[in-house]
Amino acid sequence: MKFLQNNLAVKDIIFSFKNFYSWSYLSYFDLKLKYRRTFLGPWWVVLGIAISATAMCFLWSTIFNLDWKSYLTYLFSGFIIWMWISQLVIDAPDIFCGSASKYIKAYPNPPIFYVFRKCFLSFLLFLHHIPLIILVTILVNQKINIIVIYTLPIGLFLIFINSILFTTIIGMVSARYRDIDPLVKSLMPPMLLLTPVLWKPEMLGEYHSYVYLNPFTHFVGIVRNDLIGLEFDLKIWIGAILITIFQLIIFFLLYSKKSKRIVFWV
Amino acid sequence: MRSEIILKNVNLDFPIYDVESLSIRNKISNFGKVIVNKTSTNKSGSRIVKGLKDINFNMNHGDRIALLGPNGSGKTTLLKLLAGIYSPTSGTLSKIGDTSCMLDIGFGFEQDATGYENIILSNITRGLSKDDIEKILPDIAEFSGLGEFLDMPFRTYSSGMQARLAFSSAIANTPDILLIDEFFSTGDIDFSEKSKKKVLKMMDNSSILVFASHDLELLDSICNKAICMHSGEIIFSGSTKEAIAQYKSIYE
Repeated sequence: MKFLQNNLAVKDIIFSFKNFYSWSYLSYFDLKLKYRRTFLGPWWVVLGIAISATAMCFLWSTIFNLDWKSYLTYLFSGFIIWMWISQLVIDAPDIFCGSASKYIKAYPNPPIFYVFRKCFLSFLLFLHHIPLIILVTILVNQKINIIVIYTLPIGLFLIFINSILFTTIIGMVSARYRDIDPLVKSLMPPMLLLTPVLWKPEMLGEYHSYVYLNPFTHFVGIVRNDLIGLEFDLKIWIGAILITIFQLIIFFLLYSKKSKRIVFWV
Repeated sequence: MRSEIILKNVNLDFPIYDVESLSIRNKISNFGKVIVNKTSTNKSGSRIVKGLKDINFNMNHGDRIALLGPNGSGKTTLLKLLAGIYSPTSGTLSKIGDTSCMLDIGFGFEQDATGYENIILSNITRGLSKDDIEKILPDIAEFSGLGEFLDMPFRTYSSGMQARLAFSSAIANTPDILLIDEFFSTGDIDFSEKSKKKVLKMMDNSSILVFASHDLELLDSICNKAICMHSGEIIFSGSTKEAIAQYKSIYE
């Protein structure tokens, strides 16, 4: 117990929980500033996604020879979750060297405070795309799994936890070694094609079990599958939980040892 | 509760990363050299600058400590260490009491937010709640003297006005331990007089003050102890008068 109380990672996480109000307010304000002086505000992004996803839906449903109705919800939900996750990954290397660097050098808030601010902003951005999924679901009269009322909150929570862990880990490594940023940015576009967002795993035929090797499959799946009435898949949940545990271990080792060095790196 | 700061054999090293040491390629190529040549390259990655060397000092309740020294002598580094932004490379720092630092006072400001919003933002980042801020907001607005400009975006402000807003919103709460870096240089005469008075009032309410400045008269009138620093070391500590005399004898 004593060990845990003196652990830097534990201390800083407790600090961040206590200051929930501060970082959530800052995230909310970041969101507000982002759309200041625009007429449609956040709905610009929603509109953009709606347009590109609709276009893709008609193109790919023809190419894959699928019923566009069932493909519409699959694509919309997958694409919206993908936008959230991929933006998190792309932004992660910049977290400490970017705009937070002047905060870290000027005030003794723990670095992870700014990770919470950033990840919560991404979550808020994702939230205002949710109506789009609901709209499409109603439009094509898609059935949903009733289990979704349990799995959706857990799924979103798991993604949020993982976004905090991943952003901190990658942020720290890339603050020290600046190669990580271009590496991550060049890896993410092909990941869209390798993740079952546009296509369905069963289209791979006998190779379909390889999709479980891709960590993004799990995180897109835990939120999407029950939402659009796909069969409940235990494998993706186990995968997501294993990745979370793995990230937790790396996070604790790295953060408690090196978080005090971040101020020298940024 | 009595506030207290104890510094024991504190050293602080700054690693300076040049372009090469930040890249993984360099690490890998060095790693290769180790294996192939069986000798490790001299380039360990980063140069080390000694920020603080062997600092021993006790600060107790009621101390008003002046930090003296030329540019680059480690005054701000020591303040940042006391604030908790840096942690010692070796040695121990123990601290009792809430700390507030006025080091880089303009932090937490957003260019597109209005003056009012920036006051809220910077104080929220400092950990105050929205209700607390609402209470002190009129005082801050009044003190800044910016009037209707507070409703305009921060990016439209002149640098003097930005400094006014930064200072005004930084003085909101009174902590046990107050750390202040020189900042009176910005703003017009009227405002710097006003801010001096305000800081003096804040100092009365805090139990430990550490104040870095080049204004020797001001330090003399406020502080009852002084530390004279040179290249990261304390070269003199004692009464303010003696320290100022010492400082003058070296640098003038």
